[in-house]
Amino acid sequence: MNKKALTIGWLMVLPGCLFVVFFMLVPLFLLVFRTFFDEGGSFTLNGYWEMFQSTYFQQVFVRSLKLSLISTAICALLGFPSSYYIAKYSRHKGMLMAFAVFPMFTSPVIRSFSWIVLLGKKGIVNSALMTIGLTSKPISILYNEVSMTIGFIQLFLPLMILSLIGVMENIPEDLNLAAGSLGATKLGTFRHVVLPLSIPGLVTGSVLVFTGCLTAYTTPQLLGGTDTRVLATVIYQYAMSLGDWTQASIVAVVMIVVTVCVSSGINGISRRLNPTI
Amino acid sequence: MALLELQDITAGYDKNVILKNLNLQVEKGELLSLLGSSGCGKTTTLRLIAGFSEPMSGKFLFDGKDYTHVPLHKRNFGFVFQSYALFPHMTIFDNVAFGLRMRKCSSSEIQNQVMETLELVDLKGYEKRFPKELSGGQRQRVALARALVIKPDLLLMDEPLSNLDAKLRVKMRVEIRKLQQKFGITAIYVTHDQEECFAISDKVAIMNQGIIEQLDTPDRIYNRPNTEFIAHFVGFENFLDLTSAEGGYTGADGSFFRADAPQKQGRLKACIRPEDIQIAPLGTDVPNRLDGQIMVETFLGKRYQYNVKTALGEMVVSADQEHIYHSGESVTLSLASNKIILL
Ligand SMILES: Nc1ncnc2c1ncn2[C@@H]1O[C@H](COP(=O)(O)OP(=O)(O)OP(=O)(O)O)[C@@H](O)[C@H]1O
Ligand SMILES: [Mg+2]
Repeated sequence: MNKKALTIGWLMVLPGCLFVVFFMLVPLFLLVFRTFFDEGGSFTLNGYWEMFQSTYFQQVFVRSLKLSLISTAICALLGFPSSYYIAKYSRHKGMLMAFAVFPMFTSPVIRSFSWIVLLGKKGIVNSALMTIGLTSKPISILYNEVSMTIGFIQLFLPLMILSLIGVMENIPEDLNLAAGSLGATKLGTFRHVVLPLSIPGLVTGSVLVFTGCLTAYTTPQLLGGTDTRVLATVIYQYAMSLGDWTQASIVAVVMIVVTVCVSSGINGISRRLNPTI
Repeated sequence: MALLELQDITAGYDKNVILKNLNLQVEKGELLSLLGSSGCGKTTTLRLIAGFSEPMSGKFLFDGKDYTHVPLHKRNFGFVFQSYALFPHMTIFDNVAFGLRMRKCSSSEIQNQVMETLELVDLKGYEKRFPKELSGGQRQRVALARALVIKPDLLLMDEPLSNLDAKLRVKMRVEIRKLQQKFGITAIYVTHDQEECFAISDKVAIMNQGIIEQLDTPDRIYNRPNTEFIAHFVGFENFLDLTSAEGGYTGADGSFFRADAPQKQGRLKACIRPEDIQIAPLGTDVPNRLDGQIMVETFLGKRYQYNVKTALGEMVVSADQEHIYHSGESVTLSLASNKIILL
């Protein structure tokens, strides 16, 4: 690249960089910074220490991690076959993609309210279960971890599907045919060719879904109960209800660290499954 | 009986019919080439044999058994793709081992056979690399090894050399031919390179718009084309409309030609290559004489090419540089009687 093009390139990324630096990196740095100092201004890790001592926070932390991981896994399981079908076999690719993405067009608030209607004691799900006799009295699937997980999955499945389709579409059909001609069954081809080559999409999708679940606020707030708070709702509680911004910041930092750790963990696993990515 | 037989195969994509009642026979141990212009259906035919698609109608017999609906993974045919289609996430070793693993071979057997085959294609020492770390020619050889290692009953190759440079193409086609003969593999080879096709094949099937126009040995295709299409294809540039007469044939202007080929009756087309026509000054007494006037002379390096206007149409003549004629000159042409092909 010549010098002039390089200069122009820098000029073009400058506005975006400035925006990110001033509205994201600087506040983030300040946020992290303040959690390590007490009122007197001397360095301390006490905030974190106390936070992790509290059983309440421990429960919230574990619950957040668990629900996010479960939702991510279910999104991957549900998303994989549908993405493969849409990417490889479907004649109505455009329409099916639109269907998959459609839930993203409504706000999480509205979607959560629909789930409240569906999952309530007198909701469709419970009525149906009782009619077919699977249960004699309504099971509780609202305002607990079940409804939150359902909400997360509906919220983030489209992200998983879109990431997977993007990668699967680029797997040449010849590779499947080559595997078949070498004696691989459909299942074998899937296991040895399609799956490993879809890993990059699975990684992107999982990171997006996991981060989404961990940081989502509306869905756990509306579909969870008071005894099933997660990190995101706790931050709100600390900051808005208790006015304790330092505590809120500490939780936020914990959240960032978890996201980074899990993302690199996912990356590590995928590298083992497909060494060339 | 032929090892492979396509009977009245009709095939295509959706409602689009590409192959129309195609018939083809391949004998055991021979290498047959499918040659034809782009879009004539060579790949379609090959993919159908491989089992990538099924025909709309017709039958595919292999070794006496009906293979028309045998699923892809049960056919034991090797396929070499134009794009090579190597598995990008596997090492060269794993690529070649893939077919053996699917056949549940033991790991020592896999180790031996893969290394043996890699040695065969001159790729020993590359087994730990990934496909993207190889050159085009090396990838091509991996693709070949991967198809050979399963000891296929039939080897199918779709323009396997078209991504290589000219020199390597010549080298690789010799390699392919050697391996094919060494193991007595029955093979079908798709190409649209005429020279490559003639060099490598036992038989050549010329395809045109979804049918096979002639299936013959390379030299018969080259010297005795059956149809005008094939004659054009293999370099006959001069076509004459003739009518049979006593001991020969006459043209529209009354000129008389003798041909060595067995006499045919009625109106027919004859053809001859540019280098099989002699050119001489006007009025020279020559057999199979046709007079004309030079329209264009083209210097081709070793030889001269003349476009000559005659009463039977324009003739292309290729001559050495002993005597050079110029445009506007009147000349006499002599058509070699043993080189005239009757269609
Ligand atoms: N997937 C497809 N869907 C619809 N039509 C196709 C498809 N593949 C090929 N065709 C059509 O079928 C015809 C034959 O194609 P085919 O690929 O067999 O040609 P070919 O002889 O291999 O040509 P080439 O030498 O260019 O590779 C062409 O007219 C092509 O447009
Ligand atoms: Mg082709």
